[in-house]
Amino acid sequence: MATYAEMQQVFDDIRSDFRYDHELNGCLNCGICTATCPSAQFYDYSPREIVQLLWTENVEQVYDAMQEKIWACAQCMTCAARCPFKNSPGGLVAIMREVAIKHEMQSAKDVLRPFGRVMLKLITTGNQLSPDMIQPDHFPDWGPNIQKVDGDLRILRKAIPMKTLQTTDTAWEISLKTSVEMYTIWEMTGVLKSLELMDENLFDVIEDFIEEKREEYEEWLEEQEED
Amino acid sequence: MQDTVLIVGAGPAGLSAAAQVAGVGYKAVLVEKEDVLGGAPIISGYARLVPSGEWAKDAIGRMVKRVEDDANVAIHKGTKVTELNGEPGKFTAKLSNGKSVKAGAVVLATGFTHFDSVNKPEWGFGTFPDVVTTTQVEQMVTAGKIACPSDGRTPERVAILLCVGSRDRQIGREWCSKICCTVSTNLAMEIKELSPKTQVFVYYMDIRTFGLYEDRFYWKSQEEFRTKFIKARIAEVTAAPDGRLLLKGEDTLVKRPIVIPFDMVVHAVGMDPNMDNPEIAEVFGVSLENHGFIERGEHYTNTCGTTRPGIYSCGAAYGPETIDDSISQGMAAGARAIADLHGLTRKAG
Repeated sequence: MATYAEMQQVFDDIRSDFRYDHELNGCLNCGICTATCPSAQFYDYSPREIVQLLWTENVEQVYDAMQEKIWACAQCMTCAARCPFKNSPGGLVAIMREVAIKHEMQSAKDVLRPFGRVMLKLITTGNQLSPDMIQPDHFPDWGPNIQKVDGDLRILRKAIPMKTLQTTDTAWEISLKTSVEMYTIWEMTGVLKSLELMDENLFDVIEDFIEEKREEYEEWLEEQEED
Repeated sequence: MQDTVLIVGAGPAGLSAAAQVAGVGYKAVLVEKEDVLGGAPIISGYARLVPSGEWAKDAIGRMVKRVEDDANVAIHKGTKVTELNGEPGKFTAKLSNGKSVKAGAVVLATGFTHFDSVNKPEWGFGTFPDVVTTTQVEQMVTAGKIACPSDGRTPERVAILLCVGSRDRQIGREWCSKICCTVSTNLAMEIKELSPKTQVFVYYMDIRTFGLYEDRFYWKSQEEFRTKFIKARIAEVTAAPDGRLLLKGEDTLVKRPIVIPFDMVVHAVGMDPNMDNPEIAEVFGVSLENHGFIERGEHYTNTCGTTRPGIYSCGAAYGPETIDDSISQGMAAGARAIADLHGLTRKAG
């Protein structure tokens, strides 16, 4: 159990986020956010409750909500589109999630663990999903329409006018330069730092991979100069 | 000596200003863009007025008759002011009917425009025929029958949604329209009187039945007419397979999302600035405040004044206003305009 001082620190980190005053103007307690929230239909989650806890500076309950509730939000932002005060409950949840990661909360680790594979695939290939993954057997929930993707995938993909999309084992052709630039962005915006806090092993694997790619890029640059 | 006050708009405020000017022996020229006098209560067919309970056509009709019968009031219907030149004491206005008016002072009683509910598409107005506005229900009450527009059946369950076009930053309406809470509680009672088996539910963010309206309307609608008040802003209005309307909301006191069936949904529409205000500001050379209503010159010693000397305003032109207060302000603006004429007379004399 966290001490009050720790919970206060968590709250202060949320409140001092540069987006906070933009996302929270006050609250009329009208409930339109919760009424329109798809997650509230299925989970013990209410955007109005999140807004109220933050607005009334309920430090303990804010901390409590970060243990489970905030992870039920699907970030669809319908709440933000409806709120008559133009609050963004979904935006506040985004801030709370980032602070949960910063504080290495177990709730964040539990929720994010299944996404490790996605992250690895994304960083190493630049894609989450590739055309050759879409096999009829793998998507029974798609129903009979899945047959429409049956056929010679290579030829089907050649029919796409964009040359970079004529691939089968990645969604599109990834430029090495773009990848290396993305790594720099992730580094500078704290994405990789967040990853390190959440899953050190995954972070090590990804960092090794990034290092390799950067070397590859340097070599490519040198080759260009030689030519 | 200039003895005429030009009054623009013949709703409760303008009619009152004209009567005030004529009543103390000066001349009023009343210019109204519509073909009938009486303003919103007459043109939109309001039923019984708050708080008197008198029918609008009788109450406002009396105000209309008072100016029509007064030889000191000249009336131009279906007419707009197209140009105004001059200064306090000697204005000249050109009218769209080709005439021109010389006046010492001007009173803008140009009122408001009802919020157009199609600007909140998620609440179903324009999509479902049984989603109506308070104005339409006023007309039903005036006609003596509450019925669903889709098939004429008497509704078993009616929902009134407050703050439609008010208190809503999403659509740039950051004001409270002041009258809708009381009007809605009044309508809830009128619906119940005409159709005792109909249940009426009011969905609200806050109830603002200010002053003496608290017990006479808010409490009475509960105690005597069993109106149910639910603190929830509705997210969407959709239709069930059987054609009834479904409201999606959160009962904020019970803290759960709810979906409730209704036969008729009523938008308690707010008061927008008069849609002609940009034109009015241009023609009369007055400023609008940031919501789009006419800007007051100064609150305490020039209460009726606009930002241009010699031009006064009153009623809903200044912001959402009740009929009673519009009438009082019309009298005040009329009197203030006369003071200009009188002051100039004294100076000249």
